[in-house]
Amino acid sequence: MSRPGAATGRRRPIRPEWPVTGALLLLLVVANGGLASLLQGTTWWWLMALVSGTVLLGLAGLRRVGIAESLTSVAGFGILLATVTLLFGGGTGLLWLIPSPETIDRFGTLVDSGLESIRQQGTPADPVPGILLLLSAGAGVIAVMMHLLAITLRVPALAGLPALVPVAVPGLIVDGGADPLALSLTAISFLILLRVDVRVRRAWEVENPPAGPNTPRVYGPVRRRGPGPLWGSMVVGSIGVVGALLLSIATPAVPGGGFAGTRGVGMLLFARGVTPLINLGQDLRQTQSSPALHYRTTASQPPYLKLLTLDNFVGVTWMARVEPTDPDSNVEAIALPQGLSSNVATRETKTQIVIDSVATRWLPTPFAPKKVTGLVGDWYWDRSTSTIASANSITRGQQYTVTALELAPTAEQLRAAGTRYPASIRRTLDLPGNRPAIIDQTARNVTSGAISPYDAAVALQDYLRGSEFSYDTDAPVAEGYDGGGVDVVGKFLAVKRGYCVHFASAMAVMARSIGIPARIAIGYLPGSRSTSYIEGRDRFNVDAHDLHAWPELYFGGIGWVAFEPTPGRGTVPAYTRATDAQAPLGSLVTGLPSAAPRRADPGGGNPSLGLRAATTQTGDVDGARTVSAALAAVLILLMLPGGARALRRQGRRRRVRAGPGAAGWAWDELADTAVDHGTRVRDTETPRELVARLELLPGLDSPPAGDPVDALRRLLVAAERHRFGRPGADMPGEVSAGLAADLDQVTRAIHAGASWPVRIRAIVLPASLRRPSKVARNESLPVDA
Amino acid sequence: MKAAPVRVVTGPAIAGTAVGAADGYDDEAEIETPMDLAAVEASARAIIRNVETVIDGKHAAVKTALTVLLAEGHLLIEDVPGVGKTMLAKALAKSVHCTVSRIQFTPDLLPSDVTGVSVFNQFDRRFEFKPGAIFANIVIGDEINRASPKTQSALLECMEERQVTVDGSTYLLPPPFTVVATQNPIEMEGTYALPEAQRDRFMARISMGYPDKESELAMLDSRDTSSPLAGITAVVSGAQLRGMMTAARAVFASGAVKQYAVNLVRATREDRDLRLGASPRATLQLIRAAKAQAALNGREYVLPDDIDSLAVSVLGHRLVASTRVLGHHHQNATPLIDEIVTRIVDATPVPIGAQGRP
Repeated sequence: MSRPGAATGRRRPIRPEWPVTGALLLLLVVANGGLASLLQGTTWWWLMALVSGTVLLGLAGLRRVGIAESLTSVAGFGILLATVTLLFGGGTGLLWLIPSPETIDRFGTLVDSGLESIRQQGTPADPVPGILLLLSAGAGVIAVMMHLLAITLRVPALAGLPALVPVAVPGLIVDGGADPLALSLTAISFLILLRVDVRVRRAWEVENPPAGPNTPRVYGPVRRRGPGPLWGSMVVGSIGVVGALLLSIATPAVPGGGFAGTRGVGMLLFARGVTPLINLGQDLRQTQSSPALHYRTTASQPPYLKLLTLDNFVGVTWMARVEPTDPDSNVEAIALPQGLSSNVATRETKTQIVIDSVATRWLPTPFAPKKVTGLVGDWYWDRSTSTIASANSITRGQQYTVTALELAPTAEQLRAAGTRYPASIRRTLDLPGNRPAIIDQTARNVTSGAISPYDAAVALQDYLRGSEFSYDTDAPVAEGYDGGGVDVVGKFLAVKRGYCVHFASAMAVMARSIGIPARIAIGYLPGSRSTSYIEGRDRFNVDAHDLHAWPELYFGGIGWVAFEPTPGRGTVPAYTRATDAQAPLGSLVTGLPSAAPRRADPGGGNPSLGLRAATTQTGDVDGARTVSAALAAVLILLMLPGGARALRRQGRRRRVRAGPGAAGWAWDELADTAVDHGTRVRDTETPRELVARLELLPGLDSPPAGDPVDALRRLLVAAERHRFGRPGADMPGEVSAGLAADLDQVTRAIHAGASWPVRIRAIVLPASLRRPSKVARNESLPVDA
Repeated sequence: MKAAPVRVVTGPAIAGTAVGAADGYDDEAEIETPMDLAAVEASARAIIRNVETVIDGKHAAVKTALTVLLAEGHLLIEDVPGVGKTMLAKALAKSVHCTVSRIQFTPDLLPSDVTGVSVFNQFDRRFEFKPGAIFANIVIGDEINRASPKTQSALLECMEERQVTVDGSTYLLPPPFTVVATQNPIEMEGTYALPEAQRDRFMARISMGYPDKESELAMLDSRDTSSPLAGITAVVSGAQLRGMMTAARAVFASGAVKQYAVNLVRATREDRDLRLGASPRATLQLIRAAKAQAALNGREYVLPDDIDSLAVSVLGHRLVASTRVLGHHHQNATPLIDEIVTRIVDATPVPIGAQGRP
């Protein structure tokens, strides 16, 4: 390494900033990409890249101009704060950069709304400003930590751990686990980081030979045995990959099936343009429940409360069709639902709904809403789906009154409905071409005797409610099918076990296959009557387990008509019971069906295992999961320094026992222990001088002092002999064994003698990690200056 | 007029002869036999104890003096009059069974008084070399800065070359050969301060310093009446001394320690407070002295601590402070230089010793 001819003069200080910072930035932005399955759009990614870039580059710049090492982390947080203030402060900061009390308030509001939004939204979530703020701050914190680990502490291998957080978090939240692509890219970036670091170190070593340009090098091999970059990369890389895989396995997952390519589309109940169906299965298997809403109604029968409509069947799942909201569609005056003619008997009902904890952008209303009053925020209705949604407001805490039309079509009317559908309806006939044959076959078999679409629909409903089928929330998962896709429906029709999603989906798909426009509605079952009785009306409580999915079929002249194919759930609509002997036609004519069982006997189905989606309750679960993931990440990060130190200690103790170079390892460990416990170890002092100071430490100073002090002196002599003695004249094995005991005795004494805050710091945040490796420390000092 | 140098000869009579002559030693065979380090330590203790019967409370100075003796270097004792400079030199010389001569330097001392002179023997009708005072194992040069520069340089040449050339004949000086010179730093009248180049020949400079109160009191009791030197007898033979020297030479100095010495010396050259740094000879002598000190302590390898403890003595007299810091210290820069050397020692990192493992 030494180049005697190269008169480079003074040593250049090491300059790892730019290349390593570039590699860190690459690693971080790639890792951030791992969050793609959780968030919509790409704004958040650019923002996170901007913030982490600012922090990393800013720190590198500060380092270049010679900021004290100990200040870099503080400076990093300062840069982060300034950046976040600039981006999110809305101009409230002093000079747009320095947060003012107003900015703090604003951040508080944003963070609150962001956390709220995280609780409420499914994935991929809409990145509202609050979420963006949290993401940016998180990316900034990770950037600061990476800088600390990779550049300040010169352990770039560990810098991979903070970067693992954004990659690992999706594994905790969504079913697909960590995106393998993101994981691989992150691993590659991590290896690039290690490579860059090694190059930087080598370049530096060549330019700054350890003994100066004109001096022959007198060191022995300076390469440190033990955790080198390669070792670190392998260990951390393996931990990362294995950890992410374990995490993704540990979370409930959708097994294969037709959904292999749809990772990220899954859990999407209340975000726009996505479907809840895939995720519902895992929600169904959770047993907690809490009140969603309660209402009083003038309706003859407690109504289904519809939230949203999934009418876009794209083969693998049902999706809500995204329609641009029409600002003129005020909820005070809602047009008649699509396709409804004046021939159908209707009755106006009033339902006063109080939302307890449902938080979504979709408003639960009885079908078909005509007028909604009392809402806070901007709410718009959509004629084709008869749903009401808001772009800027949520349901939580709303109290409103819905005036709705109770439709009472007669069987005759339905049977007479034509089959010429308008273009907007015809699209709800679309089916993927490559669907399993069992769908068409079953549909044809079941409806072979039907004389009209209506009869066919009733036949389908009866078939699905028949004894062949059973309600089961676990079977689909166990059998490897779940959700509402066309393959799933095929499997479901064969296995004949499933829950409302499967029944609704199967009925809708089969209806489409025989030419009846069909779609799926998501909402709440009517709930249970409570004892509270005000103004002559019962109060109905709806809880999260009342979430439900049911098919709606289109009949010309009547519009969308709900069916209930799920056995043991909900109420079979009166108009579909026309063929049942129990249902007197008269009641249909009056539009006031006689009191049918409000809620079917649970029978085989466990009523508590209702359909639940990503509403508040599931949101809470997700939130709790996110929080625990974050807590775990924070805990892991907190344990990192102590863990690294413990690993190093174990490695050294092993080497001390192993023999060769034992004294040197023992000495290193002793010096690091001293550093951990607040003793400054200067590299300008000899071992003897250090020992003289160590002997004054409380643990060694106070009686019974004899033994530890003797052990300390034995360690000293061994270390001196090892470091400065004649090579090859090393100590025999029994001395090494004695050294291990001596080392333990001395380190214990130092630890015991320290005050408790020092002891805690020594364990949690060992200062010795901040010392560069001995070789680097020795060489980086301008020894000839 | 020729001033008569005081010449004290103890032990076997000296005999300066032609090249190769080294008689006067009774056990020549043992010259290169290194002494066991434990024995070195024991002998060193005996010598120090012996010297300390006459010099009270100056352990560090005595030890450094012995170190220089073992390292085959020359010692410069610089201090105010009456603190025991000459006493130390004499006691050290008397503790070892070898030839000792003493030269009192005066302004009119001639070089030939030091080196010796060829005189014409009328009986033999040929020139015959009469060896000067320098032909001894331990030469005490008292008040060396009183002599004229010419005489000084004659002495200093002998010190460096360990040989004397008179009238074309070269006479080797008998090993061990050590000059213990004293000089008075504050006496300016009629003195010729040693030039830097000549100070460099001395391995180390020590100062005695005033004794502390107890030592001074004890001295009154013990030395009031008789000369304490009278009670000193040799505790180590010349052969033993040579064995000790050989052992000291054999002490191991690791690469790290050498590196440390080099770093220290280089630091003196680059220090802003110093006008003149230490020479490569200083590096060499620093290591040699450190080896001797390790041997004195019975250790077979040099520690950075040895270097540290010797740095002031070995480097101090070679350095010249820059005028920037010198200020009004023209009279005596020694304390200032000592301070600078101490600072450099404190600021120079100690290399991590390395054999196979950093």
